[in-house]
Amino acid sequence: MTIRFYNYVLSGNCYKFRLLASLLAVEYESVAVDFHPGVEHRSEKYLRLNPAGTLPILQADGRVFTETQAMLVWLASKHDKSGAWWPEKNSDAIVQVMQWLGFAARLSATVGELRLHSMLNKDIDAAAAKAGAIKALRELEAHLVQQQIRGEQWLGANSPTVADIACFPYTALSPDAGIEHDAFPAIRQWLYAVRSLDGFVTMPGIHELHEQRDEQSPAAETKTS
Amino acid sequence: MTTTPVALARDLPVQRVMRAQVDGCDLAIWRGISGQVQAWENRCPHRGMRLSYGFVRQDSLACAYHGWHYNCEAVCHYIPAHPELQPPASIKPVTYSVVEHQGVLWVNTRNEAEVPEFPEDSIGIRSITFDCPLSVAFEACLAAQLSDEAGLSLSPRQLGDAPLILSFGNQQQADSVLLLFQPSDLANVVIHVLAHHSYSVDGRIGISQWCESVRRQAELNHEVAMNAGMECTHE
Repeated sequence: MTIRFYNYVLSGNCYKFRLLASLLAVEYESVAVDFHPGVEHRSEKYLRLNPAGTLPILQADGRVFTETQAMLVWLASKHDKSGAWWPEKNSDAIVQVMQWLGFAARLSATVGELRLHSMLNKDIDAAAAKAGAIKALRELEAHLVQQQIRGEQWLGANSPTVADIACFPYTALSPDAGIEHDAFPAIRQWLYAVRSLDGFVTMPGIHELHEQRDEQSPAAETKTS
Repeated sequence: MTTTPVALARDLPVQRVMRAQVDGCDLAIWRGISGQVQAWENRCPHRGMRLSYGFVRQDSLACAYHGWHYNCEAVCHYIPAHPELQPPASIKPVTYSVVEHQGVLWVNTRNEAEVPEFPEDSIGIRSITFDCPLSVAFEACLAAQLSDEAGLSLSPRQLGDAPLILSFGNQQQADSVLLLFQPSDLANVVIHVLAHHSYSVDGRIGISQWCESVRRQAELNHEVAMNAGMECTHE
């Protein structure tokens, strides 16, 4: 059964799906949508599919999904045999995961909007978005500090879950919105942990860990050349 | 110039780089695979790119822009676009004195870093940034109520002038909680928070929450002062 994913490369929400699909080695058909400058997602063709006029859109199991966090749950519950990414059998963990899935929407509404303002001149109240973004990032930092104190490094459980993937992109992309990570040491550690995951993929603004790339050392390169 | 705390050591694991501000200097602080920490001017000698955007491979810091590699002696030893070239010795980032002591990284941008005396037996809780000037943050910390795990109140005393160190303690436990102030030129201040190692997990979380509460008060005080200043200008 085909999984069709309507995608825009610069979207943090689209990237959530691409990232988890890669981590779980799920194959899908990607349809590129001209979000900018074409505004194709607001065309009649796409509004018929998703009246909200948002991206991404997922077609799978004969259904249409338009909420990113639900797409992550769909991916994990259908395609993760380990059950770790959507720990539905562990009620303590699943409540935590729901907490941070909900929080992810706040990151989109603050950091995500401010980034669209910075990059594509989206007309918003930038001061309010920035204040909201800093508040949200401080809450995330505070939670991750507490997790560190407990000896944990992930948001909702003792292994990565859909919650980490839902919160990762707009946190990692906050420098695009003018908010660097310097003031958030616990966030930096967590971002690094996500980027270290086996099967991690990048997007513009979120690069790979060059230091972990299996490359010849400079000295060795010099000798062979 | 004095020696300034810039980070909890555990927040800079091996093969990582971070950015810090000290005495108006922008620094790239990094740790190679051998564990040694370096503090350099945050500027690649090649094109001026911030080195804190770079990455650490083995015991070298590589610039994100063109991949120039600098070793622990701040010598450029590899330029990817010219792999066979031995780079001239004159290509050197500006380096500063840095020491790691009792779980804290300390930098001095003028002289050898000398770590001030402060109590042992403490462990890092977190580094937290306040968006207000040092004096406002310091006053708010002095005025804030803090109790130990038994609920007994702790009172602050100043251990150092520069760097500013506040120690909270009582007769049961001297130096329960330590605040190390790092003034920054970006109109904010970083406070490195440590607690006596006997604190439980809940106690440590409580200290972390206390820091956020003090930050809310300090930033509110600053906002009120700024607004009052603006009203005066209008009159």
